[in-house]
Amino acid sequence: MINKVERSRKQHTAYVMKRKAKRVIFYFFLTLVALLYIYPVFLMVINSFKPFKEILTNVLALPVNFTFDNFTYVIKKMDYFNLFWNNVTITTIGILGILVISSMAAYILDRRKTKYTKLIHSIIIIPMLIPFQTIMITLLKEMSILGLSGSKVGLGIQYWGFGASMATFIYYNFMKSIPGEIDESAMMDGATTFTTYSRIIFPILKPVTATVAVLDVMWIWNDFLLPLLMVNGSMKSKTLVLAAYNFVGFLNTKWHYALAAMVVAVLPSIIFFIFLQKYIVDGVVTASVKG
Amino acid sequence: MKKFIAMLLMVSMMLTMISTAAFADDSAEIYMFINSPEYADAVEELIAAYKEVAPNVTINYETTQNDYPTLLKTKINAGECPDIFATTSGKEIVSYLDYSYDFSAEAAAAAMTDPVKSVMMYGEEVHGFPIKGNYFGIIYNKAIFEEVGLEFPTTFSELEKACEAISAAGYTPFSTGFAEWWVYKHVMQHFVNAAGDSEAIVNSIVAGESTISDHPMIYDNFFNFIDLVVKYGDAKPLECDLAGEEAAIGTGKAAMILGQGAWVEDDILAIDDAFQLGFNGYPVSEDPADCMIIAGSDQALRINKDSAVLQDVLDFVNWWYTSDYGKAWFTNVAGVIPPVVDAAAPDKEVVKQGQVLEAEKGAGAVSIVYSTDSFHEACGVILQSYIGGNVTKDEACAQIEAKWMDLDGTK
Amino acid sequence: MRRNNKSAISQNALKETLLFTLPALICVIIVIYIPFVMAGYYSLTEWNGISKTPIFIGLENFKTIFSSGSPEFLNAIAFTGKYTMLFVVFTNIFALGIAVALSKKFRLANFLRGMFFVPYIMSMIIVGFIWKFIFTQGFEKLYEFTGWNIWALSWLGDDKLAFWSVLFVGVWQSLGFYIVLYIAGLKSVSTEVLEAASIDGATGSQCFFRVTLPLLGPSITTCIFMAVTNSLKVFDIIQALTKGGPGGSTYSATLDIYREAFQNNRYGLGSAKALVYFVLVLILTQLVLKIFERRDVDL
Repeated sequence: MINKVERSRKQHTAYVMKRKAKRVIFYFFLTLVALLYIYPVFLMVINSFKPFKEILTNVLALPVNFTFDNFTYVIKKMDYFNLFWNNVTITTIGILGILVISSMAAYILDRRKTKYTKLIHSIIIIPMLIPFQTIMITLLKEMSILGLSGSKVGLGIQYWGFGASMATFIYYNFMKSIPGEIDESAMMDGATTFTTYSRIIFPILKPVTATVAVLDVMWIWNDFLLPLLMVNGSMKSKTLVLAAYNFVGFLNTKWHYALAAMVVAVLPSIIFFIFLQKYIVDGVVTASVKG
Repeated sequence: MKKFIAMLLMVSMMLTMISTAAFADDSAEIYMFINSPEYADAVEELIAAYKEVAPNVTINYETTQNDYPTLLKTKINAGECPDIFATTSGKEIVSYLDYSYDFSAEAAAAAMTDPVKSVMMYGEEVHGFPIKGNYFGIIYNKAIFEEVGLEFPTTFSELEKACEAISAAGYTPFSTGFAEWWVYKHVMQHFVNAAGDSEAIVNSIVAGESTISDHPMIYDNFFNFIDLVVKYGDAKPLECDLAGEEAAIGTGKAAMILGQGAWVEDDILAIDDAFQLGFNGYPVSEDPADCMIIAGSDQALRINKDSAVLQDVLDFVNWWYTSDYGKAWFTNVAGVIPPVVDAAAPDKEVVKQGQVLEAEKGAGAVSIVYSTDSFHEACGVILQSYIGGNVTKDEACAQIEAKWMDLDGTK
Repeated sequence: MRRNNKSAISQNALKETLLFTLPALICVIIVIYIPFVMAGYYSLTEWNGISKTPIFIGLENFKTIFSSGSPEFLNAIAFTGKYTMLFVVFTNIFALGIAVALSKKFRLANFLRGMFFVPYIMSMIIVGFIWKFIFTQGFEKLYEFTGWNIWALSWLGDDKLAFWSVLFVGVWQSLGFYIVLYIAGLKSVSTEVLEAASIDGATGSQCFFRVTLPLLGPSITTCIFMAVTNSLKVFDIIQALTKGGPGGSTYSATLDIYREAFQNNRYGLGSAKALVYFVLVLILTQLVLKIFERRDVDL
């Protein structure tokens, strides 16, 4: 009897040890993978603190002459704070539109199965298969006819169309995990479809909205080709990434400025990500079931 | 539902919104969209200086390097052709004729140096002007050549000896930049020039009237040169790009770099300010007279012939090319080889040595401009597979001929 | 009466469906379909993208594509196919694995999640610049250090190895995107179900494979579909890293179309290629979805 207890205690400690060991190994590997993963990013950051000479001679080394000059120079040269607001304007218009039109479309496409929903769904999703480069020329032609080229607002509106496909697709797939009873019971209480959507469904979708917002904000904030096409012409509409690319030439690239400029251009979007990710991690269905 | 309709309305309103037309008075706006952002600071200074001369004229300057040709085509097709835009010189002068103004009657055309002007012409018409003149050649480290006790080689056999000596001394003779497609065209043009009348040769191959093997200077000398530099070049030749070349020569590891010219001097000096820069032509044959640098310009700024402010654009360009400020701008502000006559040269080694060499031996034509960049990119790809050992020399030549005819031939 | 009612309801449902989807429909039609159709018109012309007058030539461009066999286009499609298959497998396995690890609660979780996402938003030109130096200077150092031959290979300069380098950096760069999607998916798996399973004595890995993974179905399909569409369009990463080289060995379909339209100045032929490729991709994605036999996603 005592032996048995002894044995099971031993077994238990062995089990605990094993779990601990597993944990240690888990963190070890995760850290290792993360370090490997982060290394190129780390290189980007440390090189932005180096003078040109040190970047070209040894990218891998830590800065010998650590300098903030690159940053002070590019922030002034890019007119950082003005362009920052351009980015904010374009991204805000873009993201709000995408979230509204996509969540609405996804909601109805999942909940009302008529013979047309499949077709409509396809029409919205298929653009994901069309490479942007193939429509560039004709897009600018059309946009300048519609008066949407050359302005921040116009560019923001264009993102509605470019972002709707993926956002609808993601919303649609998450809609399935929200039980139908939730909106049925709301409808029973006499709510219209629109109020059900805006008061019940949209709040439940908050984590998905956060996911889509994160993915799309990152994309719009840091996009290059479409802004280059539409708003590169004027400092009143130019984005941060476009300004950063001005340090990149054909035969002469000022790498020390280019790296520093890219770091400051990207930074706000990373901060946004870290701020918003806690909503993603909140979970979808758990919230809805409890609610 | 109201919100909903409001939103729909908003969407349709935005979409039908039409851009406000520019208001008209005596002031003019010039839209200048060019590549080479490396000269952005200098161009902005130029524009600021012109504002003092012509306060009513506003120049909207936009620049990008990435995707410039694509973007230009896109803008032209959207009906937003810039008043001043950039193409390459030579062959592309013709492609963009639909949009480009012949300013041969203007003072700016008269001010251009001959080697530059020659590649801006369409018949008797002048269709382009560059931001800078250029020199192409081999840039080398004088200190390494001194150490091994050699002069810069001007014949191919001297070059072979020099490579041996340099690698025996523990340096890499060449850094090649063979990852970049345009390095090949910059190298190859020296051999095409040495083969005779380069424009005629290119045209005859494009027309299918001759093959590469008819021109031993290309078929033998050029390919032998490639083999030699691969043998004495970087350990991983197809990985080396422009930044790699600059690092290799600037840190004193490599003795010579290929396919570059005046534009790399600042970068190399930024790596090592005591670098002893040497500049010379390519030792293409056994005749030292063939070892020539190339002078000219492969870039052309164009004037939109349908520009609403044509006269203002012409005034600006004439001022740029003929005023005292404009001429001095090339030398002092942009620090480039002036494309205009009687302007001082900037204080740069490549320019100083280039001018001496040009006076001594003459300079070759920028014969890359007789082909399009479409061809040059394809040609670079083929030469990469030759260096990678995937195709033989004859296969490579056949492919290059086919591309030349296909891409540059007129249908 | 009842019947009337029913048809009224379905009428109403149709109206609602249209109203809710109309904004999205209008937006995609305007920014994508109209330009795509306009570009489609040029596939019937011979046009260099510059001159003022495209010449109408009917189906000539399509004949060129199918009759000459266009080996470059075929190679590019083969490259894209291979890239897509491996990209989809690797990104999804790694992203899911890392997402599982990162969705646990631990001190550095927030920070690490952010870190994994950074490469996704780094500008391509910087990704290219940094990786080129890792492949050259970095591998040189590693070779000196370890003496292993693997570091002495020319990972960007050899036409067979370049594929793997592009694939590796491609996966590295976009992993963060899929990690975010998977984390969101994992969080929607109800914790009560998992708790119930573990009370029933299921171990961690049993929980994962028997409970979490099946419940993740929609997320997996989403991610696979996104990975397929993104890798079939692969462009930026190649442009930044190898520009299609060495020797044209890393040309993707999109890059080849771009080259035809803008570098070779054959916009008409390029548009024709784009159309052919679009149809091909449409069929292919349908097949992929059929193979997965999940009705979660339709197209």
